[in-house]
Amino acid sequence: MKSVGLEHYLIVCALLFCLGLLGVIIQRNLIVMYMGLELMLNAANLALVACSHFLNKLDGQILVFFVITVAAAEVAVGLALIVAICRRKQSTDVADLNSLKL
Amino acid sequence: MNLQLITLEVVVTLIGATILLGSLWLPADKRRHLPLVAAAALVVLLIAHCFAMGVDTTTTLHGFGGGIVQDGFAICLKRLFLASAAFVLAMSAPFVERLRAGPGEFCALILFALVGMLFAASANDFVMLFVSVELITVTFYVLTSFQRHETRSLEAGAKYLILGGVATGLMVFGISLIFAGSGTMSLREISKLDPLPNLMLFNAGLLLVVAGLGFKIAIVPFQLWAPDVYQGSPTPVTAFLAVGSKIAGFALLMRLLRHTSRPETGFLLDALAALAAFSMIYGSLCAIWQRQLKRLMAYIGISSAGYLLIGVIAMAKGFDGTKAILFYLAAYLFAAMATFTVIGLISKEGEDERSEILNGLHKRSPGLALTLTLSIVSLAGIPPLAGFFGKFLLLQLLLEMAVNNAAYYWLLGIALACIVASLAFFFGIIRAVYWPSDVALSRATAPAAPIPTSLPLKISLAICVTGIILLGLQPDVFLDLIQETVRAFRWQ
Repeated sequence: MKSVGLEHYLIVCALLFCLGLLGVIIQRNLIVMYMGLELMLNAANLALVACSHFLNKLDGQILVFFVITVAAAEVAVGLALIVAICRRKQSTDVADLNSLKL
Repeated sequence: MNLQLITLEVVVTLIGATILLGSLWLPADKRRHLPLVAAAALVVLLIAHCFAMGVDTTTTLHGFGGGIVQDGFAICLKRLFLASAAFVLAMSAPFVERLRAGPGEFCALILFALVGMLFAASANDFVMLFVSVELITVTFYVLTSFQRHETRSLEAGAKYLILGGVATGLMVFGISLIFAGSGTMSLREISKLDPLPNLMLFNAGLLLVVAGLGFKIAIVPFQLWAPDVYQGSPTPVTAFLAVGSKIAGFALLMRLLRHTSRPETGFLLDALAALAAFSMIYGSLCAIWQRQLKRLMAYIGISSAGYLLIGVIAMAKGFDGTKAILFYLAAYLFAAMATFTVIGLISKEGEDERSEILNGLHKRSPGLALTLTLSIVSLAGIPPLAGFFGKFLLLQLLLEMAVNNAAYYWLLGIALACIVASLAFFFGIIRAVYWPSDVALSRATAPAAPIPTSLPLKISLAICVTGIILLGLQPDVFLDLIQETVRAFRWQ
């Protein structure tokens, strides 16, 4: 039986990443799009940890800490912004973001 | 650990923290002076950095495990960032009443974004690259949506948030693939690896990271956010986005491409050459019919990114493009800052910055009209001003590349055609400023009173105009100055 190798992890990460990207592209609700973004970042985190493990280097894990911290900051700012939009427009649908036109 | 390498970053962070605390203790009516205080502090810091701090430009210093590098190129870029932040803070001074939120927070956020840019200038591994980009991007999420009472500002923030988030995702995933393909995070070590452990993963990762940075510098096809976000953001933020954020993106892209450039990744440079062509065409064509001034600046920014990309490709191929790129960036900085300052001054609160607001400007404020004209002339690349000479230097570089590879003659042809096409928006603006049609004048609701301009803004506009004219008429002086700083510069 073949053991789980780096390539398996990378395939799972690529799938997760594509799911996240797909979510951002086809969803029309700001909060769900934001979930897609988080999925993309976490797919990258998983890949970094897996690489760190299989290459026996800690560099990847260090970056993961930074990514998690930045993602937390991004969520704090992003959700505050989405709340502000929701208060003003009573909706979180991107179709309602239409005042910036030619 | 060599703290000397991050002196500037530490000082700017301290200024930001001081401003933030100061705004707590100051009475409300004094707080509107905070932007000017911050701008003055930055000017002092810039002068000290140029003359007093004993910065050694002749040696390349590494620190923090190779994550931070200080060389002539990084030093030049840091000075550009300091100057651009000082201009932005000066133009925010009359703008703070429109923000309706704390001027202290606004200044502090601009300063923290500046710290990110300063780090970006000397980032030499992927951890620093990621952290500096994110420091810039996350602060800009707040800055773009700072006018919370205006729908368009919130919308600009949301668009920047989602597309910036996608760019971050692409970049982090790209970094993880590069790490998987090369086994290191350091750009220096990657440039020494031969052969790469896994070329396919490395190339895929590199493509994703370049795409992520492409969002920051707004090149086709990653430019979609730029016009909307530029239009909706508060004008000083738009200026900082157009100049600071773009230069930071280019600084990172240059280091990345220079260190990863090898025969196996040559496909990327060819692809970027095509993107440069598309950016120039897209930017110049869309600018022709654009009558919203901030959107117009977005399209000018997109085509400028195309021209700059030529220099980046030349540098990745080993040509000496440092001077051409720094010259173009300085010219772009002066012209863009002057334009945004004038736009900020003449537009009223909540008003869309359409070109009608320029109608009859030369009768209201001849000085502002002349400043705007000069900067637009420079942005359009008409001789003899700074923008023309910047484009000239980059095209010269392109000509050198074309000697080895005839395909670059196509790029040269496209670039020349785009320069001609960009004359169109120039005439549109000049007509509105000096010869508005009678119909437009009769419809104009703006009073014909002169526009009040404070002394600090007059000084900052005067510096911009002097820069535009001097760089155009006496380019050698400035080129010698750059040469002096990057004399001993080698990519390491």
